[in-house]
Amino acid sequence: MQDASPPPGHDLQYEHAALGLSDAQVLAALRGMIVARTVDDRLWLLSRQGKAHFVITSAGHEATQFGCAWAVQIGRDYVVPYYRDMALVLALGQTPRDIFLHALGKAEDPASGGRQMFGHFNSRALRIVSGSSSVGSHPLHAVGLAWAFRITKETDLAAMTFFGEGATSEGAWHEAMTIAGIHQLPVVFVCENNQYAISVPQAREVPVPDVATKAAGYGMPGMVVDGNDLFAVYAAAQAALARARAGGGPTLLECKTYRLRPHSNADDDRKYRRVEEVDAWRARDPITRLERYALHSELIDPAGLADIRTAVVAEVDVAIAEAERAPNPAIESLLHHLYGE
Amino acid sequence: MAIMTYRQALNDTLGEELARDSNVVLMGEEIGKFQGSYRITEGLQSEFGKHRVVDTPIAEEGFVGLAVGAAMLGMRPIVEIMTINFILVAIDQIVNHASKIHYMFGGQVRVPLVIRTPSGGVGQLAATHSQSFENWFAYCPGLKVVAPATPYDVKGLMRSAVRDDDPVIFIESLALYDTKGEVPRDEDYTLPIGVAEVKRAGTDVTVVSYSRMTVVALQVAQNLAQEGISVEVVDLRSLRPLDRTTIIESVKKTNRAVVLEEDWYSYGIGAEIAATIQEGAFDYLDAPVLRVAGVEVPLPYAAKLSQASKPGAPDLIRAIKRVLEGGKQWPK
Repeated sequence: MQDASPPPGHDLQYEHAALGLSDAQVLAALRGMIVARTVDDRLWLLSRQGKAHFVITSAGHEATQFGCAWAVQIGRDYVVPYYRDMALVLALGQTPRDIFLHALGKAEDPASGGRQMFGHFNSRALRIVSGSSSVGSHPLHAVGLAWAFRITKETDLAAMTFFGEGATSEGAWHEAMTIAGIHQLPVVFVCENNQYAISVPQAREVPVPDVATKAAGYGMPGMVVDGNDLFAVYAAAQAALARARAGGGPTLLECKTYRLRPHSNADDDRKYRRVEEVDAWRARDPITRLERYALHSELIDPAGLADIRTAVVAEVDVAIAEAERAPNPAIESLLHHLYGE
Repeated sequence: MAIMTYRQALNDTLGEELARDSNVVLMGEEIGKFQGSYRITEGLQSEFGKHRVVDTPIAEEGFVGLAVGAAMLGMRPIVEIMTINFILVAIDQIVNHASKIHYMFGGQVRVPLVIRTPSGGVGQLAATHSQSFENWFAYCPGLKVVAPATPYDVKGLMRSAVRDDDPVIFIESLALYDTKGEVPRDEDYTLPIGVAEVKRAGTDVTVVSYSRMTVVALQVAQNLAQEGISVEVVDLRSLRPLDRTTIIESVKKTNRAVVLEEDWYSYGIGAEIAATIQEGAFDYLDAPVLRVAGVEVPLPYAAKLSQASKPGAPDLIRAIKRVLEGGKQWPK
């Protein structure tokens, strides 16, 4: 999918108009990605302040997550994310306030009312479903949801599930791929390949250079895209979802990207990644690349970009203040939802 | 009342539930054309089709996870795990997902899932075909665990399990599949989950048990009656929620208790029952609560070794006589 000769002035694979995307959509995605990065920044601060106990980053993955979200029929297709997908759920319609309520374990946390660890995003309205922290176990739920479409009688929809390349070593992932392949279910498996499973490099966790080649063993196509290129991801995700919705079966879509921060606030990535390597990927930051595209295409000027950044910081400040003020879950609610009431 | 086997009660109920609710599906290895490794699903695929009675690949974690996902959308899967020994490769999906999803989603999603599987030993099936792991699941908040001993209870509890919106682990017994008993013909008959039953009333000692061990306890109670010993048998039927009241009330009456369980002695169901009794009826006890359980060894294949490892009627009789004598010795 890599284009050897990108148009001059930017390094994205496509022009947005060629994909049917409007100028406004591109600017909204750019703004959304900046919001996601800013929320991420602030989560780390909340962690250092001792307010957010656990933080896990999506920084660097924004193009992959926003590109996929663009292709999702929000509130119709099911999305089964993993803990890296904070930018994804923002792209799907959760708000910074939702994220902070979740991170601070507040009563109004839309994921769970303060029951779920940060990074396990849920929304019935948005059809976002995430379960436990055991890596690679949740794609099975996407397969199960897709299998159940026959009783919900809904048509023209799919399930899209997300995981890192490390998850593809897990037995549960293999079983999910197997069952989706056997029944040719409408599932798109998105591998956000950031090349490290915490500290272990890809070569020590995946025996092939491209995760996408694994697809052949499960009766589905595999695709590789530049995961830091919003338009390339969107084009691939759109094709895979369209095929799934039309009854064409599952796809494994591998988005090559890079995590720009430590895995979580319990990690120090300097122990296993060279500064030069991280810097090289910073130069390919998906937000920087989209900004360059937007400037080059004259969708926005530098002053406009600065305005966005200022407005986003103010918006995120408000969200944090609201979340901090929000009530904690009542002790009396401890056992609520353990069983159906 | 109709007379039928434990197996027939299962098969009948599964068929009725498939017919009653089109969202009910059966899933598992060899349950379709092969009709189940223990013939529990006999005839069901030919009656309801391959989409309602689904043969799965040999991927327990895979199809339990599939069922969890499908249940979240309102399907009501009844998953067969061939024996409880193989549930271990699916335990992440049960413990980290099915049991917690409703809670962890803040009540947004239900998981109406039944996992049915035979537990315990029969014949010489040895170490990895004879284990009892129901206590692993009874330990988990968010799950319900039932373990019926009779065809009567099988029907009532299976109906309740399938219609329950929470995940239910339905523990069966290989050794009971051919046992017969009365089953109500009433189409509305169900049994509540979480309610024990005094299956035989007595005055001298309470025996608490479940599943196959209840059948052993009832035989022992009948035999000891001829010696003038009056044994009350409490059949737990549900392991979670646990009906502590029925246990405690029985011990308050008899003042002595023995737990009969097929699982291993340490950390087994019996430990929970003994703790329940001392918390709820300490001042009524005339002897320590004894546990009769499996010898703590991977079950050997050789017939005599295998037999020596499993708890049975003679062990229970010894324990009952010991508590009636005041119970100064422990059995181990």
